[in-house]
Amino acid sequence: MTKPAVSARAVSKHFGATRALANVDFELFPGEVHALIGENGAGKSTLVRILGGVHRPDQGEVLLDGRLSRFSSPRDAIAAGIVTIPQELRLVPALSIAENLALGDPPMRRLFGVRVIDRMRMRAMARDQLAQFDLSLDPDIRVDQLSYAERQLVAIAKALRRRCKILILDEPTAALEMREIERLFALIDRMKTEGTGIVYVSHRLDEVVRLADRCTVLRDGQIVAVSRRGDFKVGDLIAAMTGGVAAPPAVTASPPGAVVLETLAGRPDTIRLRTNEVLGLAGLLGSGAGAILRRIFGLGDEPIELRRNGKPERIASPLDAIRIGIGLVPDERRLGLIFNLSIRDNILLPSLDVVARRGRIDRTHGNRLVEQMMELLDIRPRRPELQVSLLSGGNQQKVIVAKWLTRAIGILLLDEPTQGIDVAAKAQIHTLIRNFAERGGGVLVRSSDLAELTLICNGIIAVHQARITDRLRRPADFDEQRLHAAIGG
Amino acid sequence: MSPLPKRLNLVGQVPLITLVVLCLATALMTDRFLSPLNLTNILVQSSIMAVIAIGMTFVIVGGGFDLSVGSTVALAGCVSAMVMVRFGLLSGAVAGVAAGMAVGLANGVIIAKLGVNPFITTLGTMVLVRGIVYLITGGAPVGDEGLPSAFIAFGSARVLGIHYLVWVPALLLVALSWLMQATPYGQRVYATGGNREAAYLSGVPVERIIASTYVWCGGLAGVAGVMLAARLQSGQPTAGEFYELTAIAAVILGGASLQGGEGTLYKSIIGVLIMVVLGNSLNLLNVDSYWQRVAVGAVIIAAAATDRLRSRR
Repeated sequence: MTKPAVSARAVSKHFGATRALANVDFELFPGEVHALIGENGAGKSTLVRILGGVHRPDQGEVLLDGRLSRFSSPRDAIAAGIVTIPQELRLVPALSIAENLALGDPPMRRLFGVRVIDRMRMRAMARDQLAQFDLSLDPDIRVDQLSYAERQLVAIAKALRRRCKILILDEPTAALEMREIERLFALIDRMKTEGTGIVYVSHRLDEVVRLADRCTVLRDGQIVAVSRRGDFKVGDLIAAMTGGVAAPPAVTASPPGAVVLETLAGRPDTIRLRTNEVLGLAGLLGSGAGAILRRIFGLGDEPIELRRNGKPERIASPLDAIRIGIGLVPDERRLGLIFNLSIRDNILLPSLDVVARRGRIDRTHGNRLVEQMMELLDIRPRRPELQVSLLSGGNQQKVIVAKWLTRAIGILLLDEPTQGIDVAAKAQIHTLIRNFAERGGGVLVRSSDLAELTLICNGIIAVHQARITDRLRRPADFDEQRLHAAIGG
Repeated sequence: MSPLPKRLNLVGQVPLITLVVLCLATALMTDRFLSPLNLTNILVQSSIMAVIAIGMTFVIVGGGFDLSVGSTVALAGCVSAMVMVRFGLLSGAVAGVAAGMAVGLANGVIIAKLGVNPFITTLGTMVLVRGIVYLITGGAPVGDEGLPSAFIAFGSARVLGIHYLVWVPALLLVALSWLMQATPYGQRVYATGGNREAAYLSGVPVERIIASTYVWCGGLAGVAGVMLAARLQSGQPTAGEFYELTAIAAVILGGASLQGGEGTLYKSIIGVLIMVVLGNSLNLLNVDSYWQRVAVGAVIIAAAATDRLRSRR
């Protein structure tokens, strides 16, 4: 058996309090396509960046051709033949394709003894490189005139100008169309036969099945499955990415009551939320499940019509949603918090009209509310004047929930509420959600963690390609196979 | 956790400490600095810039930027003088402030609703408004003769031993600090500047808030323009040049962040005092006026660099 081209051994990485990777082993052989899959925040990008020299592992080591590698920057990795095509492209928009392709190392010639760029040769080289992708673009076009997909292909062409032993592709097809994807796959096949090892990061399982010789699944910074070509089963991969579905325990909340929210009434994609109900939205990344929450909160491209307690309402912005008692906990904490403000100011922000008396903020009233919230949600440390940026991820998430509980809203929309927070904080958030529903609230929660949804939800709505593919009621319908089939299409 | 806020508190007092050190150093080097006449001078010189800096603080805390205040000062001064000559003191003062608010509203709508970059927008209005000033005045000073005597008196007289001109920023400081710190509106300005997206998702009408900060800034530049006209006893079309740079430098010196979400009115006024005392002490020490420019430029860069260092923290 040949030696691996690159291998990572027992690699761990933390960012602040967040664990990005824990004790991960990974290897890539020459001529192999090794797919790396997982949901958002699973640690794929971190692992790829460690291999590409962007991050250094806290623990563990990276071996290159069997020798310990110590990259201090991406330059070292590139010099060693590791080429990464990142999700964000590094092209200079104001330069032409040819200039971008030759950037840093353009062909030179002498003119009256002075070294100048050989534009003729630069153009010819660019044309050759583009031809590898059957791209017949004019090398003199400026990059900012190209479509995103064209730019992506140019970026890949640029990276491949250097000899590369290892190619890392981070979600390369996210913006490509069918035809361009085919070109990329043809190129990958060719590089493979030339002995290049390829790390292919994606969450599109059909691509993985089609391309990969091996597939590693990451979840919460750990490897949860490795399988070889021939053993791939889409269902198993989804199960590994999203966590196994635990046997549903008995119903925990009081039975759901009256309908408090109804979207798209009378249509097949209607969503009906009741009091005392936690309704889950299950879907993989890009399934459109998150977009459903955002639309209800007035963040869609167009205003949404819905029924609140049976009354028709039109929601054009978050202001409208908040007015009728809907709050959103967004999927990124930077969208939920104003980091340079204190815990108190963040918690009170949506409720300023509630705590104001004759145009003035009633500090005593406000402080009392904040103290109650911090007590109820166990936000630590118990210091309302502390900047939220100094809190741990779990406590920050509780502050975001506290914002809405302070306003006494009736409907809570949660988007990936426990992403990237530790187990203890996760459990506290689950309890909060349950208590909120128990007191008569309605909760709509989106999560890519199916185990989480089956644990806390009365019902789950499966979403795939922006359509509702299944509706499961607790406990009879909470079936692993059925749920995987519904979200995987 | 406990050492951190202490350190932050000290950082928060840097502007005041700088001002005190600057005053002490100048007082040690020349005894003319502490003379009542000189101190009065400093306050009067600071008063107009302080009013502009209060408005600029609104914009910068809201995450924006306004280069048009200098031209707005000239516009307000000329408009108020023209109106005052015909319709009297009150109409003139109101017209000047209204002209400033109109410029601010235009800036605010273009920046908040259309999403044009504040630097470009206000650079544009800075040039455009200055052009309008020259158009309506023909380039000549307005109202030398016909200005009401009460207006001229406002520019130089005192009440309770303090110039009217100094009372204006003092009263504005008290009233508007209350607005920024104790009302929902003020909290929303801080939240919008700190993180516009998160503020929007928390139900803050961010576009209206941002636009309103420019209206405050323009309106207060208008007040400053009327004050300057009273002091100069005429509306000067060339007035207020480079005021925008001094005002922005003062606000940053006072500890506001160009990233938005940070800054207080009182510290911005400390920033103004630092700029004025610096100029005053260089004058008293007979430093060449060319070197004075070099020094002021260096202070502006130092202030911006401190801003970067703090945001990297």
